[in-house]
Amino acid sequence: MTAIAAATADVVVVGGGIIGCAIVWQLAQRLPRTARIVLIDRGPIAGATSGSCMGHLMVTPDDAQEYAFSHASVQLWRELQDQQGGFDYNPTGALYLADDPADIALFANLQAQFVACGDRAEILDQQQLRELEPGLAHDLPGALFYPGDGVVLPMTACGAMLRAAQTAGPRVDVLPYTPLTSVLREGDRITGVVTPTGPISSPNIVLACGVWTPEVGALAGLPKLPIVPRAGNLAITAHHASPIRTQLLEISYLRFAHGAATVDPTLIGADQGGHAVNMQPQSLGGCLIGSTRQFRGMNRELNHELLHRALLRAARYAPGLLDLPIVRTWVGLRPFSLDKHPLIGPWPLLRGLWIAAGHEGLGISLAPITGQLIAQQMLGLPCSIDHRPYLPARVVA
Amino acid sequence: MSGARVLEAQVGIVGAGPGGMAAALHLARAGITVVLLDEGFRAGGQIYRQLPEGYDAGHRISEPPSHRAGNHLLDAVARERIRIVHGATVWNARPGQIYYEQNNESWLLACEQIVLAPGAYDRCVPFPGWTLPGVITAGAAQVMVRGFAVAPGQRALVCGTGPLLLPTVTALASAGVKVVAALEAAPRSAMWAALRGVIGNGARMREALFYARSLLRRGIRLQWGASVFAADGDGRVQSALIGKLDQQGAPRPETARRIEVDVICAGFGLVPAIELGLLLSCAARYDAPRGGHCLVVDEQQRTSVDSVYAVGEIVGIGGAEVAMAEGRVAGAAIAARLTSVSFDPRLALHARSERRAADAMLRAFQLRPGLFSICKPDTVVCRCEDVTSSQAAAAGELYGRTTRGIKMGCRAGMGPCQARICGLNLHDIFCDGVEPDLPVAQVPVKPVRTATMIDVPRR
Amino acid sequence: MSRDLRMDGVLRPPEITFTFAGQPISARQGETIAMALWVAGQKALRNSSKDGAPRGVLCNMGICYECLVRIEGAPVRACMVLATEGLNVEPGGKS
Repeated sequence: MTAIAAATADVVVVGGGIIGCAIVWQLAQRLPRTARIVLIDRGPIAGATSGSCMGHLMVTPDDAQEYAFSHASVQLWRELQDQQGGFDYNPTGALYLADDPADIALFANLQAQFVACGDRAEILDQQQLRELEPGLAHDLPGALFYPGDGVVLPMTACGAMLRAAQTAGPRVDVLPYTPLTSVLREGDRITGVVTPTGPISSPNIVLACGVWTPEVGALAGLPKLPIVPRAGNLAITAHHASPIRTQLLEISYLRFAHGAATVDPTLIGADQGGHAVNMQPQSLGGCLIGSTRQFRGMNRELNHELLHRALLRAARYAPGLLDLPIVRTWVGLRPFSLDKHPLIGPWPLLRGLWIAAGHEGLGISLAPITGQLIAQQMLGLPCSIDHRPYLPARVVA
Repeated sequence: MSGARVLEAQVGIVGAGPGGMAAALHLARAGITVVLLDEGFRAGGQIYRQLPEGYDAGHRISEPPSHRAGNHLLDAVARERIRIVHGATVWNARPGQIYYEQNNESWLLACEQIVLAPGAYDRCVPFPGWTLPGVITAGAAQVMVRGFAVAPGQRALVCGTGPLLLPTVTALASAGVKVVAALEAAPRSAMWAALRGVIGNGARMREALFYARSLLRRGIRLQWGASVFAADGDGRVQSALIGKLDQQGAPRPETARRIEVDVICAGFGLVPAIELGLLLSCAARYDAPRGGHCLVVDEQQRTSVDSVYAVGEIVGIGGAEVAMAEGRVAGAAIAARLTSVSFDPRLALHARSERRAADAMLRAFQLRPGLFSICKPDTVVCRCEDVTSSQAAAAGELYGRTTRGIKMGCRAGMGPCQARICGLNLHDIFCDGVEPDLPVAQVPVKPVRTATMIDVPRR
Repeated sequence: MSRDLRMDGVLRPPEITFTFAGQPISARQGETIAMALWVAGQKALRNSSKDGAPRGVLCNMGICYECLVRIEGAPVRACMVLATEGLNVEPGGKS
């Protein structure tokens, strides 16, 4: 592209997805006006996973740590909306659904988890559910409604974060179509990066490359990072009508998405894949339909069988979907961290190298807090939540 | 084994226009079973569009001499009792399988070989007011006249560029529409260049003469180097601002004048409908004079995928004569594969000479870059997602100046038309100096009901 | 419309009637919804999702999706669906 890279920077962020953009946004709020932040990406901004995912803002009450982590991030999303907007922010809440008696029993468990975290969620009976979402199948026994979740459009959210950063004070250079070709180092510290348009000297590099982080990390001489792609098939309907107004989640989604993988995620071809309904209303009408999960490497071909099952299941909850036109289907690759926690923080063996990746299906939701934790640690500021569970030091063999 | 909602044939052909019909006819005569899938209600495609069953317009609708060949082809296809499935929206395909929706039902055509002849669609360059009801493509106007014997309006502006403007003007005139202005964006020199290109092609020369005479007889003058600048009206088109273009094709505001019209027919060339080919993993390349990305084929019309052939506009805009010639080539090539008949290389020679003549003509009518400045900052560029030119520009600036970057930054190209209308414009207006991104092949290639995708017939 | 846009002297099948936004529209058998509405002077078929501006037929051959209307709630292309007796058609757009 025509943009000329700033020859020196205080931080170079590699990766223009939601995580990289959130880091730029959070750094720009804390660095002095004289500072320079450069973001590079080999493709367009939001051109990979952040342009092919759902936009779920999700509070997870698994335990106090996860709750604090996810809740703080959703709060930051609200701040971005107030500051900048322009990314179809929609605080719809989330409706947890089930049609299987065993799963219906889980409503009370999840509600108890929210309560234990000092939050609230409401169990709806059949009548209340129908009033909230008249488009849902009438035979559903009820649902759990959690008001704190929301939906955003991740692609435009990336731009909102970058625009917020560009008006915050420091100079922010955004360089799409600028791949990282090598990492410059002196001894055990980072000194810069090289791109086809020239070198950029910088004492800090942040790798926020999602499923490509292991590949890019290798350029910096890192051992293979424990992040593997987990494919999801998605479909989106045309605008004009959405059968739903609230975001829908099958309650089985929780064990499916966040539970232990039953196969070795690093083996390609071993995982048959699974699905649980996640449906999101879109701001212009229509809805986004997921979600499936399958470990099968970097393969981005549609798995028709899995998508078929996901659509069938979605239509079981929202029968109006059957008549709506599907405009597009596609596959996105979630960066799955083998121990199920993202890697956020400094790489202990190379000063100035930072990692922020491995959020699996919660990258959009957790991007702002991830950006904040990187910014706080880089500047030696106190962290807003306990950052230790996410430190990359844990994967240093 | 044929199951519920499954059709079987040796060859499945997508598109019942000149290319698809010519291929079908050749195959049927060789004793090969063929099924043609077409989204329209009758065979003929857009170029040989027929009136609905039960209509008779006598000779009231203007027909150029080349349509005689189309009529012969339609008759022959009917005589051979070739099976044509109408109203079929093809949404997915892989070698040997074509999935389509018809009357809200999900169908599968199972076949050994596939011929892609889906044709093309009109290109329209955005200008202020072009979203007003009453602004239609040149193709839309022809559909109204030839397909329904309906006049698109009472007073029309015809504008754009390329060889399709003339049939549009004559069709409108024969339907009793007053053509207030007929504006060709290319400079007059394009006319000579085009004529030089078709010298030696008798049929094309006769065609040119036919149009010249038709216009003369009706007192319509084609103005070269002129264009629409804007459409205006309260909820529908009531007037148009038109004027001359400079050497680069940019509007000259001092020449602007307003004309009263109730319909604007704009056709800035045609775009090959390659989506299905991309989905089948057929190789494609960008060829601006031929209308955009085109499938790559060998001299027997075979794509990079062994069992998939492509003919006509999908290989590059060329017109009905090219499509017919290439359809015969594909038919003969497949017949040679499936039977003991050998391939007649003269068919390929003929197709190549038709293609050469078409290419010469198209080169003369390439859009000049200045023309895109008729699009103003607040002009909608992506109609599906209501994205304006300034929004698309800002998205490109931040996200990367490619159609993909623009799409990510502002959703342009993500609506139900799947960027068919805006894709090339986004590139030509905002992405100077880079090769256009190959459109991404995604299922469904045209929107279909969720139920259609769920109820996929299985073999 | 001061003049019928259907060309004179053309033999056509009998008339049928359908409704658009509750108003009766007459059509000839074989005409699409888009064509019948166009002849009836109804060029605006939907409002754009964002600014509500009227939209109508652009390509008339099933490509552009500008002419979306609703039949029994489901969006369809008016240019690709035949008008039939008694059909109830509603304008397209966000509901």
